[in-house]
Amino acid sequence: MRIVCPFCGERELGEFTYLGDAKSARPAAGASEDEVFDYVYMRDNVAGPMSEYWYHGGGCRAWLKVARNTLTHEISSVEPAAGVGAKQAAR
Amino acid sequence: MAEFSWIARSPLEKALVVGGYGARGTTAGVSLTEIRNFDLIQVMARRGKAAELAKAAETRFGVTAPNAPNAVRVPDATLIWSGPDQFLVLSKGGIHAMEKLSQAFSQSASLSDQSHARALISVSGGKARSMLAKLSSLDLHPAAFPAGTAAATAVDHTSINLWRGSDRPDGQAVFNLLVFATFAESLWHTMLDAAAEYSVEISHSEALA
Repeated sequence: MRIVCPFCGERELGEFTYLGDAKSARPAAGASEDEVFDYVYMRDNVAGPMSEYWYHGGGCRAWLKVARNTLTHEISSVEPAAGVGAKQAAR
Repeated sequence: MAEFSWIARSPLEKALVVGGYGARGTTAGVSLTEIRNFDLIQVMARRGKAAELAKAAETRFGVTAPNAPNAVRVPDATLIWSGPDQFLVLSKGGIHAMEKLSQAFSQSASLSDQSHARALISVSGGKARSMLAKLSSLDLHPAAFPAGTAAATAVDHTSINLWRGSDRPDGQAVFNLLVFATFAESLWHTMLDAAAEYSVEISHSEALA
């Protein structure tokens, strides 16, 4: 599998580290215990298109948001994660 | 009282043995030269200050700092892209050392002195690309990686900054490689192993290519 880093171009999988689901969002302060439990522990075992975080540690060290099909490994989009690069943060 | 010496030493001081290595009886296919005593500053834009950094860099160096994987050469320094909104400044003799650059970029960037944190290895010769092809997954063919191209990548599980500098007078491509000091010896031996079959010429130099 290869990932096209938006900064570096196409790179081999070995340069990247997988974090996991990019969908889960931290619950607002004061959220119920169930919501926090869900956020911390509960993960979907997605079979199909999934949005996930990858870290380009062997390259530009940017966090990336990758849309990947977990059945075929087909990658439909790669974009910098929110806050990556001061340029992105400023937009 | 114990005596201390704070003289900078090369991380390759022990591993590097000047002379030939590997196959004999042929002209060396790979030249490995360690460049010693350089100034290297990491410049990273502060949050939302990328445009300001670009302006400050242009004022300081007279060129646009790389915002894509490139290495930009100015007469007294090389600016090497190292990631989004960040680059390395490689120079010599204190012209662009920390105390100079920290004034130029005080408003826009965070700086970190890497002068003694990295080893700089210059790879050239007719078989340089064949040797690097064993270690790197990047396409270093001139069509894909012309002079002035840079990359942050991993070689033998070790993060490096790689860029192609100006060609040698004989037209051979020169690949420059910055590696963390503590990984330098390991990578050095890996490169020697990879290059042995082509015959290696080993040296060190004080001059930036």
